[in-house]
Formats: sequence, C-alpha cells, structure tokens
Amino acid sequence: MEKTKTMQQNLSNSAKTDMQLKICGMKYQDNIKQVAALKPDYLGFIFYEKSPRHFDGVMPQLPEGIKKTGVFVNENLNTVIETVNKFKLQAVQLHGEESAFYCNMLNTSKQLNEPVEVIKVFSVKDGFNFEVLKQYENVCDYFLFDTKGKLPGGNGYTFDWSLLNNYPSTKPYFLSGGIGLDQVDDIKKFKESKAAKYCYALDVNSKFEIAPGLKNIAILKEFQNKLSDKTMQENYNVDDKGYYGNFGGAYIPEMLYPNVEELRQNYLKVMAEPEFKKEFDKLLKDYVGRPSPLYFAKRLSEKYNTKIYLKREDLNHTGAHKINNTIGQILMAQRLGKKRIIAETGAGQHGVATATVCALMGLECIVYMGEIDIARQAPNVARMKMLGATVIPAKSGSRTLKDATNEAIRDWINNPVDTHYIIGSAIGPHPYPDMVTRFQSVISEEIKWQLKEHEGRENPDYVVACIGGGSNAAGTYYHFLHEPNVNIIAVEAAGLGVNSGESAATSVLGKEGIIHGCKTLLMQTNDGQITEPYSISAGLDYPGVGPMHAHLAKTGRAEFMSITDDEAMKSGLELCELEGIIPAIESSHALAIFKQKQFKPNDVVVMSLSGRGDKDLNNYIEYFKI
Amino acid sequence: MNRINQKLQENKKLLSIYFTAGYPSLNDTVSIIQDLEKNGVDMIEIGLPFSDPLADGPTIQDSSTQALKNGMTTEVLFNQLKDIRKTVNIPLIIMGYFNPMLQYGVEAFCKKCKEIGIDGLIIPDLPVDVYHEEYQATFEKYGLINVFLITPQTSDERIRFIDSVSNGFIYMVSSASTTGAKSGFGNEQAAYFERINSLNLKNPQIVGFGISNNSTFKAATKYAKGAIIGSAFVKHITANNAQNIDAFVNSILK
Repeated sequence: MEKTKTMQQNLSNSAKTDMQLKICGMKYQDNIKQVAALKPDYLGFIFYEKSPRHFDGVMPQLPEGIKKTGVFVNENLNTVIETVNKFKLQAVQLHGEESAFYCNMLNTSKQLNEPVEVIKVFSVKDGFNFEVLKQYENVCDYFLFDTKGKLPGGNGYTFDWSLLNNYPSTKPYFLSGGIGLDQVDDIKKFKESKAAKYCYALDVNSKFEIAPGLKNIAILKEFQNKLSDKTMQENYNVDDKGYYGNFGGAYIPEMLYPNVEELRQNYLKVMAEPEFKKEFDKLLKDYVGRPSPLYFAKRLSEKYNTKIYLKREDLNHTGAHKINNTIGQILMAQRLGKKRIIAETGAGQHGVATATVCALMGLECIVYMGEIDIARQAPNVARMKMLGATVIPAKSGSRTLKDATNEAIRDWINNPVDTHYIIGSAIGPHPYPDMVTRFQSVISEEIKWQLKEHEGRENPDYVVACIGGGSNAAGTYYHFLHEPNVNIIAVEAAGLGVNSGESAATSVLGKEGIIHGCKTLLMQTNDGQITEPYSISAGLDYPGVGPMHAHLAKTGRAEFMSITDDEAMKSGLELCELEGIIPAIESSHALAIFKQKQFKPNDVVVMSLSGRGDKDLNNYIEYFKI
Repeated sequence: MNRINQKLQENKKLLSIYFTAGYPSLNDTVSIIQDLEKNGVDMIEIGLPFSDPLADGPTIQDSSTQALKNGMTTEVLFNQLKDIRKTVNIPLIIMGYFNPMLQYGVEAFCKKCKEIGIDGLIIPDLPVDVYHEEYQATFEKYGLINVFLITPQTSDERIRFIDSVSNGFIYMVSSASTTGAKSGFGNEQAAYFERINSLNLKNPQIVGFGISNNSTFKAATKYAKGAIIGSAFVKHITANNAQNIDAFVNSILK
C-alpha cells in the first residue's frame, strides 16, 4: 500500500498560515458531535484503559476533514492496527515508550485498511535531549511534545516552550501540554519565535473540560476565535473584484451581466454623491424614523448580569431594518433610470419594505414569494397588495424564499433594460452584498455615537445579530469589523437542532459553493444540489449566508452560535415579560444567546433587535397556546 | 481535432439538441442520445440537472426537478455515459450549472469528461472572466471546449473578449429571456444577428433560445452556423415518454 504523504505540504501551510488544532480526549457521543462541529483538524480518542478519558463508546459519524486520532500507550501492535481498522482512524498517537522499530512496523503495516499518520510523543520537562528524535525521523509523520508529568498526558500544565528554540529537526510537530485559554497570548508570542517554525499543530485537552472527557464547547470556541484573531491584518470589506477572502464574486449567467455590471460601475459613485446622501439621510430621518433608539435593557441586563443594549430596528417604519436598504436601492434605481422594481421575499418583510418605497416613489413593484410562504404569511401579502405591489407566487422547487429568489432573477433575465432588482439581504452577485451592507451600515454608525452618550465609549465589547442571509448583521457589524476589541457574535437558526436535519445553521452545515450568484457557504448535498433549510423563523430560513459572513466565519473574526426554535421562542417571550417588547422571531434567536454564553458584569453587549413581532403573532399564539 | 471543431467545418447548418439527463426516466439518457444521432442531429447538449437552474424556464426546471427525483447525480451521469463512445460519434456537450461541478472538483470533472469522450461544456453561471483566470488552463489540459453565451445586450467589446477566449463556437442567445420563454424571431433578432455577423468573429455562432420548429430553425440558421433546441424537445419527450424522437427531428429538418 502506498502511503499518502502530505506532511511537506502541511508544513508549508502551517508555516505561512495558522496552526492546525487537535482536540484530544473525546469520550461522549453528543459532546463529540458538538466538538466536531467546531471543525478542528484532529480529534483524539484515548485507547488507554487507565485514562479517565478512555474511549469505549460508539464513534459517531464525523464531518469530512477531521482526522480521527487514536492515542495509545505501549499497546500491542496488533491491537493498535485492529483499532485503527475498526474505527477508521486516520492518525495514531503513540504516547508510551514505543520504539522506532515499533513505529516503523505500524507505518508500513500491510494489515492497515488505509494508511495512518503516525505521531510519536515525547515528554519534556526542564530540558530535553533532542538526540532521541533522530532514530524516529524516518518512521513517523509528526512529533508531539507534551509536558512530562505523573500520567502519560493530560497533566494540565505547560513546559517551557523556549526549549524548542533548539529543535534540530524539520519534521512538523504538535505542541501539547496544559494549553488553555490563558495561553492565547503566549501562543501568539510563540508563533513569532524561531521555535515555532516547524510547529504544525496545537493539541488541547484538559483545560477545556467540564469533567474528564467532557469538553466545554463555549470555551473551545472562544479559544479558536482568539487564536485566529487576525483583526488587525485581515480585510473584512469587499475587495476590488467583489470578494471577501474566498467568498463573493458574481457567478451569473451572461444574460444578467449588463445589469449587474451597470450597478457595479455606478453604485459607489452614486452613493458618494452629496445629493444622494442628502436624500437618503432625509428619508431615513423623516420617513423611516431614524435614528432608531439604542435602549439599555435594564431588567434583561439584571437577569443575565451584564450590560445589554438593544438597537431598536423594530421601531423603524414597516417594523424592521429592511427599509434602510430598500430606501437606498430605490434611490439607486431612480438614478439609473429604472422604471420597474422586482424583489423576492420570504416572510414578507422585505417585500413590504420594497412595496412601501415603490409606493413612495410611484414605481411599479413586483414581488416574488414562495407559494408556501404566501399561504403562511397572509397579512404581509395583504400589506404588499394594499401598497400597490403585484405578488407573484413562486411555484417551482420547494416554493419558499430560495425559489422566490430564483424567480426574481429569472424575471430580471427576461427584463434586462428597465428593471432594477432590489435584493433584500447581503447576498447575490457583487456588488449586492457590499451595497446592501453599506445601506444597512447606518445601524452601526448610530450605535457608535449612541453608545458614546450612554457609556462614554464608542465600542461595545460585543455586537450581536441574528443571521439568515445577514443584512441586519452586516449593518450592525460594519463599523466594528476592524475594531479588534469588539467581539462579533453571529446567531444562526438551528431549527429543531443543528444535527436534526431540520436546521438553517449554515456556518456549521454549509460547504463552499455557489448560490444566487455568489460563492459562499451553503447547505447542499454532496452532489452540489442546494438543500432546503428549516427554521421557525421565515427570515432565517435560507440555505446560504452572505459572503461577508462566510468570510467572518472562516477567519474566526465572528463567533457563530446556533439557537433552536424552542430557545428562540422562549427568549422572545422573556423579552416581552421583562422589557415590554415583542420581538420578531428572527431577533429572538439573538436574544437566546444569554442562556448559552455567560458575559462578564461589565461587558457591554449591543444586540440588534432587527424587527418587531407583530408579523409573528400567529406563530407565538400557536407555540405558546396563548 | 475536437469533434466539435470537426463538426463545425462541415458545410451545412447544424442542429443541436438539448435534453435533461435522467428524464423522463433515469435510464433514458443513453437511448435518447443514440436516437438523436440516428435521426441526423449534429450535436447534443446533455443537461446535468441542478436544483436551482436560474437561467431556465419552467419546462427545463420541471425536467431537472424530475431528473433529480429520479436519482440523477453527476456520478450516475458519468456511469451512464461511460461506454457512449462505443455507439455515438457526434459531438457531446455537458450543459450544467457550476455548483455541482465545483463540488465534484473542477479538475476531476474535466478529467472524467475526457475519459468518457465529452467534447465540451456549457456552464451558464461560470462567467467568462472567472473561467479565463481560474479554469481555462484545466479545461484545455483535458481538451475540452467551453462554450459561452452572448445576448442582445452583450456589448461588442465583451463579445470580442468572449470570442478570444473561445475555441469552438459561441452560443448566441436569441433574446433576453430564460429558456423556453419566447418563440419566433422579429426585426429585433434580425438586427442583432446582423450586428454579430458584422463583427467577423473567429468562432462560428450557434443560436439558442426560442427555436422550436422548422421555421424558427430556418430563421435562426439564416445568420448562424446552427441552432439549438431545448425546451421544445424536452416537451416532446415528456409527451412521448422519450419515444418518437425521429418524428421530432424530422419535423425540424423537413
């Protein structure tokens, strides 16, 4: 069997970009799934009976790309091979006094169904004789340096990493031993040092546990976010070609090219015109009712022992943030000489906001809405009709938001000259995600000066928003993206549970692909067919996420959390009871994070309350049997 | 020489037919291709179905949805076509949206096409600039011709760029529309076809969208090297359960 050697490639990656992460000592099935959702590079399972983290359970199905690693201590070679085959392990970590001969036997064994990476562990305390490595150079794939302690691993304290300045080898190695959240700064310093040149991965275990073998997901997430904090160097805005990192672009049929290109060439120019700005600002003030209040939620803050501010987008005309964007785009359409407006809508909020501005400007308005959504959102359909819009049912595919978007795009293909398509979220081909984000950025612009009035500082510790396609989130984050001290939290809908098959948690379930004209994370089959998401909230029920958010997820700039239907509904009701505000179910998802994540008493958490709950009354009534 | 280039050298107007693979029944793919060749069709576009076909009208949407329900996947299609070159000689093009190819792996996809004997690809949502920068080398490595669309709204400058990147033919979309939406050609089309003619492009053009019968085929090929029929053929195989393909082809070529 030819063994696939990827080390050199891995090494060159690790030297340039981030270190890989191995999370070790996995034991409990549900916990394993949750940890796997964080997408570490390696997950370690300890096959050593004396360890409190001894793995003897059932191995759940893990996402692709995570290497299952078996940890053994002076185990019989045949047992190791059997275990590797049984659990389909991709790596073996040898934690005892295994000889070079033993490593070689394993490395070249013909009994292995698939090749495995061999990781040999060496324990370091006050000093280390690097001579011993020599004999292992050619028989294993990686070294791992752990702190020498009473037990073979899991002792919970670090060794002096500067010893690795004398590392004589070029073999990539794992750094292990007592690494926890407190070591983030040390790790960052270490990364800059000579010793880190061949450091390929970090190996963590006991510092992230609630009990032996039971990992604390929140702290692991925080660790990942802090480590990948490239806030200062990374650009989170769109680049010249319309990409956020790897995401974005304009993957559109040629029929749409002239329209999208016209917009691309003009949007920044138009937005910078003083007359345009004046008209936009005036409408936001006089018609929408901006600025929307930044409200200190006293009782909610007391309950969760932190300082919570709600950005009241729910108080805008039409009841949500959506109108910030439709006002901007209708003015843009007028400047471009368009006579006919089309839009897609899911729950109807964006459709209503579009119909509203079309009535305001006297333009023809056609809204595409999934046949199923039309049936379940009757009041918003009536609103659009009263505002003079034509609502056309999308009857193709699953007959929801995704299909309404397809139909709107098809309409645009068939009407390429006089029509402007007002996309409602931070999705679509470039320049849409950036244009929508810029129109919505009024949210964070206001937060800055409003928070200064409340707290004497412009930057909160956290900004939080729910994400479907991500327009309210994009606006809430925009002016904080490059502020390293502002933590960003994105809240996705988990539906009935992330792994239930009925979910819209795109950052966890999505893979890179193309939807509605942009490259982003989206939920799809292995064959690349786009799948149907599920959430109780129609506004979060979308199989993709805006390309900016995909980039925030990938770089770790934002922490993504998933909230189930039940958690959201309860938190929505809680806001009613504590603050006298009925939130949209979308916004209720953001509110539910306080039950998952503990903030410090002095943390200032600003949350976008993106919409009001009137449109969801039927859902609330049904859910709580009111 | 690629079969597409060979075919384009023939001194005749070409009839190209599009159909959705795996429709009406999963295993109709091969027999439809064989019947089309037998009845004198010059070139075939095999549609790889996609869940969200943005550029397609209801007929091809519905056939795609049904094909996916029937179990069609990229892998299944490649398996169905693996021996196609034992019986079929005319150029075969796979037409599909970019995401399924991206998930299969663009290089793996191209490699497989070459192995089977696919001659070209049409990917409506892969823009020419992205293709040129990221994928052209891979396509050419496997000898595949990528075909781009132009529309009445495409500027001369962009058409010249598309012409420079192309090495087979240009797919001339007859009017601003999704597939199957409009039928018949008026003065607007004539002016557009003449404009393209006057550009003296290096690649011949084949007209698609809006061609459904003998008269539209004749009108389209007055200016162009050939014409593509999609929705009308899909409707025919829907009504005839993939049979009587000779009658359809004869009605176009009569």
